[in-house]
Amino acid sequence: MAFTGNFMCTSFKQQLLQAQHDFTASTGHDFKLALYDNNASFTAATTDYTVTDEAGNSGSYSAGGGALTNITPTTSGTTALTDFADLTFTSATISARGALIYNTTTGGGSGTTDSIIVLDFGSDKSSTAGDFQIVFPSADSSNAIIRIA
Amino acid sequence: MSVGMFDIPKDATLVGVRTTSNRGFSAEELAEQAAQKIVAVSDTAHPALRDQAYAFRKRISKVIESYLTQAVRSDRTTVYNALNDAGHPDLADLIRRL
Repeated sequence: MAFTGNFMCTSFKQQLLQAQHDFTASTGHDFKLALYDNNASFTAATTDYTVTDEAGNSGSYSAGGGALTNITPTTSGTTALTDFADLTFTSATISARGALIYNTTTGGGSGTTDSIIVLDFGSDKSSTAGDFQIVFPSADSSNAIIRIA
Repeated sequence: MSVGMFDIPKDATLVGVRTTSNRGFSAEELAEQAAQKIVAVSDTAHPALRDQAYAFRKRISKVIESYLTQAVRSDRTTVYNALNDAGHPDLADLIRRL
């Protein structure tokens, strides 16, 4: 299998309507981003984080991926949006084709791995004993990573 | 009646990925990234406004770069002293020479 594009996970949409995700900064849930090679087979039907085909431990990257810093949801016009701070893995030798963002505290619990978004980088991205940085788009009504219009 | 939308484009590049090999990001690279976060302007904005925003972003980038460079130097001073105090003058000198 391979990455076949970006997906907002269907289970996340349902869980959002069930008030199971909180993106508020500091007091909200803990979200993580894990990196994968192109053998990963994620779709909109993906419901959970998996170690299968995940990038290996290197530098500051370890299984499960890196913790994201939430930016409290806001609005722009009639669009609601949220964002994450850019994430950098340092001193790492990594090759990845995409990523999975997931919630480790869905519904107020802990240790959960409910998927949010599948991200396809479009091609393999590699760092060698260097930095591997995920840059999130501008937090506006047209570009924010998660937005409801 | 309009219907709310909640999805992402399947085939677009949603996040940027920046990588380095055998080094970290330079102060110049990080400053440019920071400036792009601080000053965003639409490509379809009025040319006069857009050009002014671009010029401001360029200036901001230079200011950030100078402070980032100073931050790196200051941190190396801190690391140098920590290593020296821990009895590793050779390592401390390596850090100082970076």
